Amino acid sequence: MLKLKVVQKSVVALLLLLWACINLFPVGIMLVSGFKDTREIFQNPFGLPQSWSLENHLEAWTQANFAGYFTNSVVVTVFSIVSIIFVSSMGAFVIARFRFPGRRLIYLFLISGLALPVRLAIIPIFLIVRDLGIQDTLFSLVVVYTAGGIAFSMFLLTNFFRSIPGDFHDSARIDGAGDFRIYRSIYLPLLRPALATVAVFNFINVWNDFFFPLIFINDESKMTIPLGIQSFFGEYTVRWDLLFSALSISVIPMILFFILLSRQFISGLTEGAIK
Amino acid sequence: MLLPAVLLYTAFIAYPFARSLLLSLYDWPGIGPKTFVGFENYRNVLTGYMSREFFRALGHNARFFVLSWLMSMIPGFLLALALSVGLRGTNILKVVYFIPNTLSIVIVGFLWGLLLNPQWGIVNQTLRAIGLESLTRPWLGSTETALPTIIAVTAWRGMGFYILVFLAAIVGINRNMFEAARIDGASEVQVVTRIIVPQLLPIVSTLTVLKVIWSFNVFDIVFAMTGAQAGPAGSTDVLGTLFYRIAFGGLGSSDVGMGLGATVVTLIFVIVLPVSIFYVFILERRTETR
Repeated sequence: MLKLKVVQKSVVALLLLLWACINLFPVGIMLVSGFKDTREIFQNPFGLPQSWSLENHLEAWTQANFAGYFTNSVVVTVFSIVSIIFVSSMGAFVIARFRFPGRRLIYLFLISGLALPVRLAIIPIFLIVRDLGIQDTLFSLVVVYTAGGIAFSMFLLTNFFRSIPGDFHDSARIDGAGDFRIYRSIYLPLLRPALATVAVFNFINVWNDFFFPLIFINDESKMTIPLGIQSFFGEYTVRWDLLFSALSISVIPMILFFILLSRQFISGLTEGAIK
Repeated sequence: MLLPAVLLYTAFIAYPFARSLLLSLYDWPGIGPKTFVGFENYRNVLTGYMSREFFRALGHNARFFVLSWLMSMIPGFLLALALSVGLRGTNILKVVYFIPNTLSIVIVGFLWGLLLNPQWGIVNQTLRAIGLESLTRPWLGSTETALPTIIAVTAWRGMGFYILVFLAAIVGINRNMFEAARIDGASEVQVVTRIIVPQLLPIVSTLTVLKVIWSFNVFDIVFAMTGAQAGPAGSTDVLGTLFYRIAFGGLGSSDVGMGLGATVVTLIFVIVLPVSIFYVFILERRTETR
């Protein structure tokens, strides 16, 4: 890589640290403010809290319908990710491992969704959801997220399938294993790093999505965090402590999930999706 | 085993896109009978009473693309270059830099709204503290700065993605090229400008295509920071917020209707489609040659 003098290296390090601070500052303020009471937030906005008790977080959890939003988000995210992984990995297995007429065309059809933002088709999707009578349900969100996640996930997983040698497949078949068995017991375990990338990517999309709940969900008890938290902004402007602790609770699962899988995710994203 | 993917995708993605095209030829408030109006909606949007709002929003999307391209690509490249030096802690920084990407846009919008508050926000406070009082402004409250501010916040959130992609590309360059250039007497600056930058051009083109797609679809961050009305005085209105007001009845728009909304969507689609086809084409070519 570049050969730098010591002085130049320190400048580079300083630049990198500065950006890290700009990156973490807003999140850090939010997390720390969750521990303060409202007066402390205004008098000492950037200092450490007087105590690190979880009182605010417990109160926020029981306030309004926050626990409900949180549960809904967890349910929608878990079901969406599981079904995206299931549907896309099976599809990618077929595309990468079998030859049949129209294979290329079907593949192009499926990954064209990479370039077509799903939300542009929101009106007809909304009408279909309404006609199916699943409006205002968590199920409607799971279905749309699964369909919307197919393009990226199929693309990434097909590439990974292609990079696995076909010998496994042939020898397993000679041993008498059916196609579904081969997929499940041979390929799925090999695919684990790619599945981590797919899981994190879709976790980010689904956990944070604001658009589809905004259109589909009216019932307060069915709202997910990004939509539900909107009402917090309005109602709790006098209770900043609760607002910040609620926001903290809502970002923690996402950040932990990302950090946990960050190694596989980073290599999968950069190698699989872009290069 | 391929069937579930094809069925779901057809029913909830492909079919809706086709139906959206058809719907744009109708006048329909969302319930009751549809009236076929031919290209009436298009006339209204392109040359009729909606055209002023439409072209203003389109212009904002174009500005979004240009400004966010500059704000993401250049710092993203420089930070990736800095990371590629390989100082201690690089792996931790990669994770740290991606964290904003994992945050909900709603929360990002809210937090930056606080930091940018004209009276007590830290941005203006910092400017005052370092004697740049003249640069303080109501960032989101002025028609001149609101859109660039939203674009900067978007760039802040997305930077990690650009850094990681550029970094992977820089690390992937054959090191022998650097050595050969140095033996020929190239300075480190020349290594960057003559070797690294040209080698990154394919990645830049991929990222540019993604930028076009994202810029013409932006909605959440504008909605979160300046609302459905995309204030002040519509100065941050993009096609996404315009569409939302038309189709789902945000107040204050001059007309409401699913048909007219579908027309706006179809026009976005027409802009994004050629770029999208190009994108799928380069992706396919790359995987074929592997």
